[in-house]
Amino acid sequence: MRINDAILGAVLLAFALAIGLYARTLPAIPGQEYGAAVFPTWIAFAIGACSLVLIAGGLRRWAETGAVTLASWARSGHHLRALAITVALVVFYILVSTPLGFIPTAFITLTALFAVLGVRLALAPVLAAVLTMVVHYGFYSLLRVPLPWGVLTPWAW
Amino acid sequence: MDAILLASQMVFQPQVLLTIVMAALFGLFVGAVPGLTATMATALLVPITFFMEPVPAIGAIVTCSAMAIFAGDIPGTLLRIPGTPASAAYTDEAYAMTRKGQGELALGANLLFSALGGLFGTAILIVAAPSLAEVALRFSSFEYFWLACLGLTCATVVGTGSTVKGLVSLLIGLFVATIGLNNPAGVPRFTFGNVDLLGGIDFIPAMIGLFAVSEIFRYVLGMAPDLDGAQTKVGNLFTGWGRLMKQYWRQSIRGNVIGISIGALPGAGADIASWVSYAVSKRFSRTPEKFGTGHVEGIIESTSSNNAALGGAWVPALVFGIPGDSITAIVIGVLYLKGMNPGPTIFINNPQDIYAVFLIFILANIFMIPAGWAAIKSARVLMRVPRNVLMPTILMFCVVGSFAINNSAFGITVMLVFGLLGFVMEENGFPIAPTILGIVLGPMLEENFVTSMIKSGGSFAGFFERPISGTLGVITLAIWIVPLALFVWRKARS
Repeated sequence: MRINDAILGAVLLAFALAIGLYARTLPAIPGQEYGAAVFPTWIAFAIGACSLVLIAGGLRRWAETGAVTLASWARSGHHLRALAITVALVVFYILVSTPLGFIPTAFITLTALFAVLGVRLALAPVLAAVLTMVVHYGFYSLLRVPLPWGVLTPWAW
Repeated sequence: MDAILLASQMVFQPQVLLTIVMAALFGLFVGAVPGLTATMATALLVPITFFMEPVPAIGAIVTCSAMAIFAGDIPGTLLRIPGTPASAAYTDEAYAMTRKGQGELALGANLLFSALGGLFGTAILIVAAPSLAEVALRFSSFEYFWLACLGLTCATVVGTGSTVKGLVSLLIGLFVATIGLNNPAGVPRFTFGNVDLLGGIDFIPAMIGLFAVSEIFRYVLGMAPDLDGAQTKVGNLFTGWGRLMKQYWRQSIRGNVIGISIGALPGAGADIASWVSYAVSKRFSRTPEKFGTGHVEGIIESTSSNNAALGGAWVPALVFGIPGDSITAIVIGVLYLKGMNPGPTIFINNPQDIYAVFLIFILANIFMIPAGWAAIKSARVLMRVPRNVLMPTILMFCVVGSFAINNSAFGITVMLVFGLLGFVMEENGFPIAPTILGIVLGPMLEENFVTSMIKSGGSFAGFFERPISGTLGVITLAIWIVPLALFVWRKARS
């Protein structure tokens, strides 16, 4: 899905303005000319300048490209749903892994993702279970990464 | 001579050799798994080295990091997902070769020139460690500022497509680098009261997001490149080695020299060396138009450079206890822990320990050829595994890898945000690599600029007053101004 450069440029211009205005709120260091605001201000100016170039270029090509050129996936409900579910599953992992624990969370996440991507429904939980335990063994037992136990804490090994 | 004999006795023991082999396999695995980095491999190895003698402990880390840096090339070449940041510079190039059915040439070149680069780096480490470290130590904030500028300039040279979009990508990276408390003024910036943001954005989860997660999103949306026309098996890796060495020896040597030089400078490691070398290769190539289409030249220079940088990074680490990169920062901790305190006196008091480290470097890089060959051969499995099984697996590795950086779910959030950002950027023709370079070099640029301005009393002339700083400044400005002037001149003539 290709968005016209003029629209992206306008978004970047707003972003640059936001950075610039925020930078003005940063405190100056007494007796020193170059404080915390210098770099964000320069970056805001540079992004602003680039966004003006993008807006000019995008407006020149507006007639031929329009506002948005839709890719095939953007018209496919199936693909958009798959993307939304994938993102939602990562968010689910972030929110739930600590209270629920790595093993149940990873199992649920992987089973759902396998199912979404077309792995046979009978096979998805088996693959997810094996993979969860392999990842857990590798990272938790061998590499000592403190993956959370959550509800399984009483049975932690 | 006695010290060398003693060092040989220390290294050539079954237990030490077995440790090196195990560390090599571990490094190859971690490096080849997208989302896990050489730095992470080294960091994860540290708790295990607690239980080892000094020589096998250092040996394990040397071998593991060298193998991981090389192994990062494997998924980069076969799946367009760099295993480590050091491989990111030439991932697109190597993947383009795989799409053309030249995967074995790319992987063979990676293997050969990684090993040669590693050996070259070791040779320099042995011969010139003290003098090189002295040069690097004479660098002040003025030189480091220009060095960071040079690195950022390289980002725009490396980028293909629109220069403005490359610049925007770079500026996004520089903006991300300003987030957090870690700035010369020590003021929280863009944190909005969030405690996690105070520490800033770690570039490893950001890199995992930009390079790996965005690729997973593309697959989920059915946009993954069709592998039907691509190579599904890796043939004879040794094909064309003689021809490559004959044709590209200059690039290999230049990559080695750049790698060692950048590696020896504190703060700049294999990742930056790889970017700079790729840019230099393109700039001086007789066929720059082939870059980006699946051309081995830039890969050779870059892969030589990142492995040579590893040896270079050990120079200041061993001689002065200053880390050359993130890996050697971890190594210094282990050296202290094992009573091998880095510093000039170690060469006088315990030369056998230093020679043992050198010997392990040589062994690791020689062992890289058979071990790397085996890793590449088994990497065929990656191509055969159904992608609907492989991609969730990689996503889980990415999630756990992002978590493992700080043992915090915040890393996973960063990964997800950058995954989405990378997807949108690539969809609209913004290269993602400059963003990573901006995040890595941003703090170095700002810190050295502010320090220099304070030193020079607010005068910009200070950046040109010292000979090395002045030279670096002129080179950097020339890279920007000369092509622009030539463009204007040609336009005026035509």
